[in-house]
Amino acid sequence: MESKLTPKQSVERIKALQPVLNAAITIVEEPEENPNQGPLAGVPIVLKDNISTKGIRTTASSKILDNYVPVYDATITKKLKDAGGVIVAKASMDELGMGGTNRNALIGPAHNPWNPAHITGGSSGGSAALIAAGTTSLAIGTDTGDSIRKPAAYCGVIGVKPTYGRISRYGIIPYASSLDTVGYFTTNIRDAAEALEITAGRDDHDMTSSFLPVEAYAKNLNPDLKGQKIGVFKTVLDRVSDPVIHQTFDNLVEQIKNAGAEVVDVEMDTKLMELIAPIYKTIANAEATANHSNLDGIRFGERKPGGSVEEVMTNSRTAGFSSYVRARFVIGSYSLFEENQDRLFRKAQKIRRLIVEAYAKLFETVDVVLAPAAVTAAPLIEQSSDVRFGADRFEEEHLQLANFSGYPSLTMPLGLEDGLPFGINLTARAFEEQELFNVAAGIEELIDWKEEPANV
Amino acid sequence: MSDYQVTIGIEIHCELKTKTKMFSGAPTSFGEVANTQTSVIDLGHPGCLPCVNKEAVRLAIKACGGLHCTIDPLVKFDRKNYYYSDLPKGFQITQQFHPIGKDGYVTIQTEDGPRQIRVERIHMEEDTAKQFHKETGTYIDFNRAGTPLVEIVSRPDMHSAAEAAAYVEALRRILFYLNVSDVKMEEGSMRCDVNISISDDPNKLGTKVEIKNLNSIANVQKAVQAEIERQTALLEAGQPIEQATRRFDEPTKTTVLMRKKEGTVDYKYFPEPNIFPIQLDQAWIDSILNSLEELPEARMARFQKDFGLSDYDSSVLVNDRDMADFYEEVMKTAKDAKKAANWVIVEMAAWLNKNNLSFAKNPASAADLASLVNLIDEGTISGKQGKEVFEDVMKGRKPEEVIKEKGMQQVSDDSTLIAMINQVLDENPKSIEDFKNGKKRAVGFLMGQVMKASKGQANPKKANGLLVQELSKR
Amino acid sequence: MEKFSNEYFRKLANDLKFDLSDEEIEELKKDFVEVEKQVELFETIDTEGVEPMVYPFEAPTTFLREDVVADVLDQKDALENAPDVRMGHVHVPKVVK
Repeated sequence: MESKLTPKQSVERIKALQPVLNAAITIVEEPEENPNQGPLAGVPIVLKDNISTKGIRTTASSKILDNYVPVYDATITKKLKDAGGVIVAKASMDELGMGGTNRNALIGPAHNPWNPAHITGGSSGGSAALIAAGTTSLAIGTDTGDSIRKPAAYCGVIGVKPTYGRISRYGIIPYASSLDTVGYFTTNIRDAAEALEITAGRDDHDMTSSFLPVEAYAKNLNPDLKGQKIGVFKTVLDRVSDPVIHQTFDNLVEQIKNAGAEVVDVEMDTKLMELIAPIYKTIANAEATANHSNLDGIRFGERKPGGSVEEVMTNSRTAGFSSYVRARFVIGSYSLFEENQDRLFRKAQKIRRLIVEAYAKLFETVDVVLAPAAVTAAPLIEQSSDVRFGADRFEEEHLQLANFSGYPSLTMPLGLEDGLPFGINLTARAFEEQELFNVAAGIEELIDWKEEPANV
Repeated sequence: MSDYQVTIGIEIHCELKTKTKMFSGAPTSFGEVANTQTSVIDLGHPGCLPCVNKEAVRLAIKACGGLHCTIDPLVKFDRKNYYYSDLPKGFQITQQFHPIGKDGYVTIQTEDGPRQIRVERIHMEEDTAKQFHKETGTYIDFNRAGTPLVEIVSRPDMHSAAEAAAYVEALRRILFYLNVSDVKMEEGSMRCDVNISISDDPNKLGTKVEIKNLNSIANVQKAVQAEIERQTALLEAGQPIEQATRRFDEPTKTTVLMRKKEGTVDYKYFPEPNIFPIQLDQAWIDSILNSLEELPEARMARFQKDFGLSDYDSSVLVNDRDMADFYEEVMKTAKDAKKAANWVIVEMAAWLNKNNLSFAKNPASAADLASLVNLIDEGTISGKQGKEVFEDVMKGRKPEEVIKEKGMQQVSDDSTLIAMINQVLDENPKSIEDFKNGKKRAVGFLMGQVMKASKGQANPKKANGLLVQELSKR
Repeated sequence: MEKFSNEYFRKLANDLKFDLSDEEIEELKKDFVEVEKQVELFETIDTEGVEPMVYPFEAPTTFLREDVVADVLDQKDALENAPDVRMGHVHVPKVVK
């Protein structure tokens, strides 16, 4: 993988951009020399701050972990180092991954490099912003709902969420274990294919990691769209009201057809689509409240004083989590109560199955499903908020389908509207990353994206 | 109090004898320096994931086999959520919904003969950290955190303190025989919680009271007895029994209130998302079950059948696996099984006890004890001499050497004895006369002379027979 | 205790070992109106005979870790992040149970 900047130059650039983007929680002032001569030799790497790095502070953007320095490396950290990569920064994110704006961050909101008045999207917003700003050619993120793919769309870069279990989750500070997926941002599809070769693979430390062999995705990359069976996700597209996005998308579909692909419309029952967001929240909040029970100020993290151990825990957790996160823990815990599980948590898991079954049907006739990644470009920071609960619009949340099903899914830039990027999303069947990359490479040639953000 | 129906159920936690923890590669060593036997997983550090220990599963399967449980070949884990400083993750990974074993039983010996106590379930889980409470605060050592456990839950099938103790004893013996656990109650590798309820209505259960952390079988019996008496007294006085958790206070031999139970705690159990269900290979399960060590019950039956031992002797032997192992070694060469059993159960056990040793650390060799038993049996030495030689055998010496050294060997050889007798007869013609004249006591005198001549080593029984024979020749 | 009263939410929070301010509770009350609406929405879906989907993929694994010592922390690393360490132990104020 090529890098325009050395690790030292990358660090300088991130530091220089910090007042504008506020995208890094920790900048590695003196990046470690890495003698490994692998495919990432000399490449500066940005990691989302929920990825454990031995000896480098890892906060997951939460106050309770403000002083936490892991004594071990996440599996992906190890793999990147083994490949020669040099960690230059720990990128901003929504607290514990809970959010889609990157406003709910330990250090305040991250700013979009295309226009700092706008959000980056979240929760992997810092990673998206730093790669969009040209500080690195590989930034790692995690995706539980759309936390890589939404910010990728808003920041005009490529964001890949591979299949669940393709990249080890060991050492990733979790959000919701049955949905969490490790992925990354790149600026072109070839890098995206190569990055998966480096980061994927069976890890005995993660019992959910896959035994399937990692393929030579980059070498086998075939951008020929001829004969590719592509489904246009009409149920989502019909809800896109922004004329620029809709028109650009329609034009792309025409180009894809002209390139020889077999394009058909695919649809899903809107009744099930309406359930995506509520099901997501129910499952994610429940798993998250249990996952973060280890954050108590006893063995690590910020401890607040108290007269008893109970008080220490309570004071540490009250001060350590934002109101927003505590509210979500309460909701998650409520849905796990024995008296509520049948109508909330377990019911949501059942509906998840129905949604996945319906979604899998789309792939009976096509190999890749194409949809707009988001219905608008990045909103203004002041105008965005993480709606805690309330009316959901499935066209905003449809990317979560790939988390429910575990399918590989990527977002890539399509066009600009008022100087802000918007993108498309491609999703394939489980472990068919090669197919996904092939179609994406073909579309990449059609789009021929050459835009660069203003603030770099 | 005979009108009250006593119902007892028991939950037992047993640490499994693995090298590493349930979900991490950290060692399970006991008694090490605090916080030196942990991994990031045991400390609940952010980002850690659990990874199931194969040996723990194997030992759990053995336990299922020993307790006659049905094994679920699809292993699943769940989270039990609660906050406590000894629980690093804020949840315990356990098997709430799909225990590895179900519907087994343990046979106990009662006054009315053997009885089966049903086992509801066996499930795998992880242990908590150890806390030391001092005036200056609580000190936490995470070495124990994550140690593999099986929890074994009985049905409420016991009705007396003796039955409760017999159940724990039987269970302990089985797990020890199967090498599943050290079952050291005093070190906490086996822990026992007892639920007791008493009712005057045989169709209705009384209020359940739990006694936690009983650390010996004797205390199980004492605590249950004390609790039965306490609850009976309350019922007699017309007072209500409160649902509560109590502990046994050894000095006063009473149970003491720890906390009242106000409603049940909601542990918000849900399936552990980080561990996919694990399909066990049926051939693996079968091979484990087919190569189970002999269970105590079977061994007792075998001792009775093969060696003709009594119920009592065989049960005493089998209770201590090392003692039974030693006895079996002895029986490879010993001829009289009953006498050998006596030596092992009575003499050896007393000697080891006196010297603060156990059969596991026994200095004597089984072959030597067998020789000793045989030598006495054959009349080479007397029983009294045998006890003297035994002291040396317990120091690791060979009985034959000791006998030779101490000149204890009885003279039983016919020709030696006959020569000795004839010499005595030649020296005592008067006594021969007397004998022929019908004075029978002359034999007694001559026997005395023979013993004297042999320096007490002549086999008296044999010498007596030969003396009469030689006399009649004269 | 009345469901969704201030006291109710305070109890929910305390069970999770944190506090909520009065303002935070007012916000939560609004959230729970939505949670209850969600339940109604869920009830419109017939899930009779549908098994909960716990994992994205449901083919069971056969992998079990061999019982070999690995990844052990020394005491320094184990206690490195602990806010209060005394005599090689993590120290906390006396546990009240």
